[in-house]
Amino acid sequence: MGRQQGWFALILALTIASAALLASYGLQLGLDLRGGSQLTLQVMPAGAITRVDAEQLEAVKDVLERRINGLGVAESTLQSVGSDQLVLQLPGEQDPSQAARVLGSTALLEFRAQKPGTEKDMQGLLALKRQAESVLGAKRAPSPSATPGVPAPPEPPSLSSEDLAKALTSLGLQVPSGSSETDQIELLLKETNRRILALYGPALITGKDLTSAGRQQQATGTGWEVTLGFNREGGEKFAALTQSIAGTGRVLGIVLDGRSISEASVGEQFKLAGITGGSASITGNFSAEEARDLEVQLRGGSLPLPVKIVEVRTVGPSLGAENIRSSLEAALSGLALVAVFMAVVYRLPGTVAVVALSLYALFNLAIYALIPVTLTLPGIAGFILSVGIAVDANVLIFERIKEELRRGNTLIRSIDTGFSLAFSSILDGHATGLISCAALFFLGTGLVKGFAVTLAIGLLLSLFTALTCTRTLLRLLMSYPALRRPTYFLPARQLPPAKPGAAHPGVA
Amino acid sequence: MTAMTPVPSPRFRISRHRRLAWLVSALACGLSLLGLALCWLNPSIHAPLRPGLDFTGGTQVQVERDCAPCSPITALEIRQGLSSLTLPSPEGDRPPSLGSASVQVLDGGRSLLLRLPALDADQSTALVNDLASKFGPLRSSGTSVNTIGPTLGSRLLQGSLISLLVSFVGISLYISFRYSGIFAFLALLCLAHDVLITCGLFAWLGLLQGIEVDSLFAVSLITIAGYSVNDTVVVYDRIREQRRTLAAVSLLDQVDVAVDATLTRSLYTSFTTLLPLVALIFFGGSTLFWFAVALTVGIAVGSWSSIGLAPTLLPVFSKR
Repeated sequence: MGRQQGWFALILALTIASAALLASYGLQLGLDLRGGSQLTLQVMPAGAITRVDAEQLEAVKDVLERRINGLGVAESTLQSVGSDQLVLQLPGEQDPSQAARVLGSTALLEFRAQKPGTEKDMQGLLALKRQAESVLGAKRAPSPSATPGVPAPPEPPSLSSEDLAKALTSLGLQVPSGSSETDQIELLLKETNRRILALYGPALITGKDLTSAGRQQQATGTGWEVTLGFNREGGEKFAALTQSIAGTGRVLGIVLDGRSISEASVGEQFKLAGITGGSASITGNFSAEEARDLEVQLRGGSLPLPVKIVEVRTVGPSLGAENIRSSLEAALSGLALVAVFMAVVYRLPGTVAVVALSLYALFNLAIYALIPVTLTLPGIAGFILSVGIAVDANVLIFERIKEELRRGNTLIRSIDTGFSLAFSSILDGHATGLISCAALFFLGTGLVKGFAVTLAIGLLLSLFTALTCTRTLLRLLMSYPALRRPTYFLPARQLPPAKPGAAHPGVA
Repeated sequence: MTAMTPVPSPRFRISRHRRLAWLVSALACGLSLLGLALCWLNPSIHAPLRPGLDFTGGTQVQVERDCAPCSPITALEIRQGLSSLTLPSPEGDRPPSLGSASVQVLDGGRSLLLRLPALDADQSTALVNDLASKFGPLRSSGTSVNTIGPTLGSRLLQGSLISLLVSFVGISLYISFRYSGIFAFLALLCLAHDVLITCGLFAWLGLLQGIEVDSLFAVSLITIAGYSVNDTVVVYDRIREQRRTLAAVSLLDQVDVAVDATLTRSLYTSFTTLLPLVALIFFGGSTLFWFAVALTVGIAVGSWSSIGLAPTLLPVFSKR
């Protein structure tokens, strides 16, 4: 009896601890339940690296984490998945497209000096580039009046189709037939960019030499510029770089991810010492948004490997709320029916099982809060299924108890035999379930994993509740002689006729 | 459980009905195979099951219109409205064409479901804005955009298949260890039977109703596999026990006794597991509807095979 009470005290303690855990931590709900966006980023091997390993994944994650912090999105989480993927979760109604823009690009910033003897080529290319950019800019911003105070040409800039064709052929490009003007200008820009890059020397300063990045409105014009602060080494390199081209008419190229975003000439006055002070700014005619994105990217540093966004999932919060409400209702109503069924069919032990299974549900939720397990819809499904299997364990035991009673065994003996005989099949059933869970967890993807985790927790707990909680509670009740009646276990007509001398089969 | 226990005479003898059980299962398997084959031959599917977004990759946009009585709207109107939209695209890339979009109008014009080639974040934002301007206003909290890259889809399929196979191998090793090779073989046969019939049903649903299978379906198959084995193991456990206590009786009789003794349990357990699942079908969110259907069918079939197939096939295979 003492052992029984020890178990009972343990169950009681676990119940109180679980309730306290749940109350203080609460459950973490997945994005499909509370709404939000999820971005999956694939880290791509590049250059000498053909396989992404854990170290590189961690390095990419560090950079992305800094960028996410820079974006200031609330409660976001970034997790690595598998060997080469990262998953960013943005809860609530946050726009995933900005995050996608900021996270998706490598942000490799390079300062490169123009090679000597290429001044004439560069001038032609830059002129072409500016013209194409302004035409494209005007096309994209439909209202030219939105640029007050700018000494802009009175007419929106345009490029006649002949000029465009001429420019394209001068660069040795075929005009693709049937392509729109915008397409052609973009083609032109791409080619000029390629040629400008060819005129640059090697990258002398990179994003690694930066200590800070900021943005401010340009002193002239409406655009924004991005300001940079170099570390000591970077500042010295920048001074040396600017000194080498000061007054020569050659330009300093600022290249971001293989695109020349700014070409600046350095005045004669810096001939002596170069531009010192360790700071610079990129005047690339950015919009406020673009400047902010670039600032965040530069602050976070460039990615050691490029990433690709392979998945974006967004669930509106109301869809999530509706899903959780209806699924919860369904689960609870189903469980209520199971409870009624158990109590009706199995009488006293059935009622005990309902209590044990309620504790089972409580322990489950407490473990979710403790680990923590993020609850998703498949997770809820896994939970419901594990309840089904937990009920099965109880059904197996009670059927065995009934069998023993029908054979004319005493009540206490029937209970003990029932538990011990049902044990091997309960164990086998749970073990095979856990094997499936392991396969799902280690080989499956996110969605499948959530299901495997809740099912595995449910199966392990179910072994405990069926074999310990139900048994302890049942034996505790059996210590009251008033409850020791076989008819509390099964209908009287199923009992064997009472043998003489054993009028009270319940009294062991 | 004493030595004096008389040989019980089972009320229900499964061996008397075994030919019928085999026939029913063979018919169901044949129909399932036919469904899978027809699905494969169907030029618009060309796979044993109609693969959903999770496996094919692409973008799915669902929007909810903010209107009390919604003006009726047809899929054709939406497609025409979309044709004038040019999506933004990163330099040098062509924006995906919207011509191949599939459009569904749900809830009497209130919700629109669009299936498109994979779009990036800017493009899907542009698309939703365009929809809002043409068919809006939209309820922003009812919008959902899912994009799955094509490589991710095939990886998901691979992962699901591999985890299914690995769990098969693990389960059969466990049963071989705890019981014997024949038990493991038959448990796997029943498991294959249950999974095949569930797949067959969804192949027919895909053919006739256009129902697609997603990664949740893969989850349900693996669950069915685990559950089916659990169900079978209970009956096997009983047969093993009879072999010890009723060694004198023929295997056929042992099987009959074991099935009879576990019948109530098998039916009750299936019933109690099906209760929450049926509740999910009727009251659960739309996301879990087909998942619950797959599980319900799989568990019902699993009960059937653990009563009608796994025990009755045992004497057939044990003779060899």
